[in-house]
Amino acid sequence: MSSRTRSMFAAVCAVALLGAGCGTTSTNAGAAGGGPDSAEVCDGPGEEYTIGVSQANVAEPYRVRMNADIRRAAAEVEQFDEVQFLDAAQDNSRQVSQIRTLITKRVDLLIVSPNEAAPLTGVVGRAYNSGIPVILLDRKVNGDSYSTFIGADNERIGRKAGEYLAEQLLPEGGEIVELRGLSGSTPAAERGRGFRAGIEGSGIEIIATADGQWLRAEARSKMAAMLKAHPRIDAVYGHNDPMAEGAHLAARTAGRAEGTKFVGIDGLPTPSGGIKAVRQGRLSATFVYPTGGAEAITAAKRILIDCESVPRKRTLPTQLVTRENAAEVYRRLNSR
Amino acid sequence: MSSRATDDEPTDSASTSTGGSAPDAATPETAAGTSTSEGWSAGRQSAGDRSSGARPSEVQRAGRSGSGGVEALLRFQSLFGLLLVFLASVVFSPRGDDGEIIFLTSENLFNLVRAISEIGIIAIGLTFVILVGGIDLSVGSLLGLAAVGSAVLLTEDDFGVLAAVSVVLLAGLVFGLLQGAAVALLRVQAFIVTLAGLQIARGLARLWSGGQTVPITYGSGAGQAPLSFSLLGERTFDGIVPVPALIFAVLAVLAVAFLRGSAFSRHLYAIGGNEKAARTSGVPVNRVKIIAFGICGLCAALAGIVHAGQLNTGSPNAGISYELDGIAAVVVGGTSLAGGRGSMMGTIAGALLLGVLNNILALNTVDTDLQLVIKGLVIVAAAAAQRLWPSR
Repeated sequence: MSSRTRSMFAAVCAVALLGAGCGTTSTNAGAAGGGPDSAEVCDGPGEEYTIGVSQANVAEPYRVRMNADIRRAAAEVEQFDEVQFLDAAQDNSRQVSQIRTLITKRVDLLIVSPNEAAPLTGVVGRAYNSGIPVILLDRKVNGDSYSTFIGADNERIGRKAGEYLAEQLLPEGGEIVELRGLSGSTPAAERGRGFRAGIEGSGIEIIATADGQWLRAEARSKMAAMLKAHPRIDAVYGHNDPMAEGAHLAARTAGRAEGTKFVGIDGLPTPSGGIKAVRQGRLSATFVYPTGGAEAITAAKRILIDCESVPRKRTLPTQLVTRENAAEVYRRLNSR
Repeated sequence: MSSRATDDEPTDSASTSTGGSAPDAATPETAAGTSTSEGWSAGRQSAGDRSSGARPSEVQRAGRSGSGGVEALLRFQSLFGLLLVFLASVVFSPRGDDGEIIFLTSENLFNLVRAISEIGIIAIGLTFVILVGGIDLSVGSLLGLAAVGSAVLLTEDDFGVLAAVSVVLLAGLVFGLLQGAAVALLRVQAFIVTLAGLQIARGLARLWSGGQTVPITYGSGAGQAPLSFSLLGERTFDGIVPVPALIFAVLAVLAVAFLRGSAFSRHLYAIGGNEKAARTSGVPVNRVKIIAFGICGLCAALAGIVHAGQLNTGSPNAGISYELDGIAAVVVGGTSLAGGRGSMMGTIAGALLLGVLNNILALNTVDTDLQLVIKGLVIVAAAAAQRLWPSR
């Protein structure tokens, strides 16, 4: 282990001088009930730090990109010598036990992108209360036992998508279908709710919705069925780009891609991502849903190296991507 | 942990000569298999060495001298594999601030057992089904259904803990019995029946929860679960032993005891070894099969209750692909997917081995992607070791 943890242990022992003693477990580290004390976790630029990243699921391109952003940003900070990525494969239980292992290991900082809020609340709180700073990405946990939350506002993005459809794409109104994210997932609920707020009062009517489970293949088959059922579909709103792309594939197979507009969300700056799809004309527009990976490392640097406090919440801005600005946004997001 | 394993060794070696060994209705085939096996294992020692890393040579010597404990280890190579991985973990464990071996801290070991408790409970149930030559792919979905059921009954329907747990366990049992009936009476292959069961249980879980994760909030008001259910997420014995780990341990002891020399266990092995021969020698094949599937469903439901209690939620997507982890534990434990060969002790060792592996890889800063590759190789190595070095 690094000398850093050793000095931290000494600090903890000094704090726990009042008879708590130095046990073998880490539960007696950190102030009870409170989070990590910045004086305790921050050792300045002269030390090396280990960061554990607990990712909900790397089967989603968005989360792969998040990990890549974290990796790239961490590589530029020489003090972050070890960054370990664990994938929970969409399983709450697995994510909880992986975080427990990282606590046992006494990583210096945790970056967690939770699979679901409620099941992970306990273990995230445990890490935080045992003196490990926790940065939450994309999804929150309940309560406030974490250092900072970094994420975009899904409801606002959904509303912007609705407004864009109502004002730019179909100002005359029209009949559209919605391909929703996995039923039960929070982003799906928020992107659906926001969108409805965005098209309210316009002439746009959602004539059908289907659960595309965030997946391109699933969305394609659902869209194929909807194309058969509805002779007129003016536009498709996909809760993410892969689903909008899947819908586009189905429409093209049915020979109806020309008269239909496709809008997605995520705008990943990857070769297979939504920005390229907009640039190549398959999607009319997408909205960037930033991963926050680089921002998480910035926050980690402030906590561990600069000894500064970070705001409890950071809402990342979105950006509309159309054919006009796609190339420029793609370049900008990849040059950070 | 390790001490418990050694306590069990003598009893194990005893069991190999009774419940563990080829049963009365053994087929000539298995009998022949055991007689050639000794010649094989001697000839293939070196190959075994290569597959299992470094096997200490004293074990070979001890094996020849035939001392009880080592003999048992050699017979129960899953236990041997567990010991090997455990020792390797101790050696390769990162050190804490005062030089302590992090892997061996009680906190870490109990975390490890807690982490595999759900898979372990599932694997215990699966062992019954796999021993009779069946398979149950529905256990992961059934876990999800049970987790959702527990959450909905406790919160929305205001059931008491005992009532909710009983209903969920009963539902799991009935689900398993129905699958067993389809396999035994309709003569549909277990793979097909339980593949359908996987879909049905997952669909029911989504329907019951409305596709939403059902949170479990505790309290005495309406729509709140009784506080006693949160015990499943706690630790007992001065806050040391996680309750799920305790449940797994108790169930493991019960299952090992149950499979030791009971008539039922002889029937299991007989059916798995040769169903026709078992039928003609008067084994109630259909009834035993149905009961085996029932036990498997019951275990999956229990795992679901533990899951819900640990996470304070019933998620309709809980337990996806757990059936494969459970089957992996059974296979690593030396039970043959063809049926008729294997042991409960092996399954428990197999589950623990996978747990230790997960844990030590994470402790050593190995990313999950590489972990998958290593785990896959270990499963293949364990299965190959069964072939080269049969446990009986």
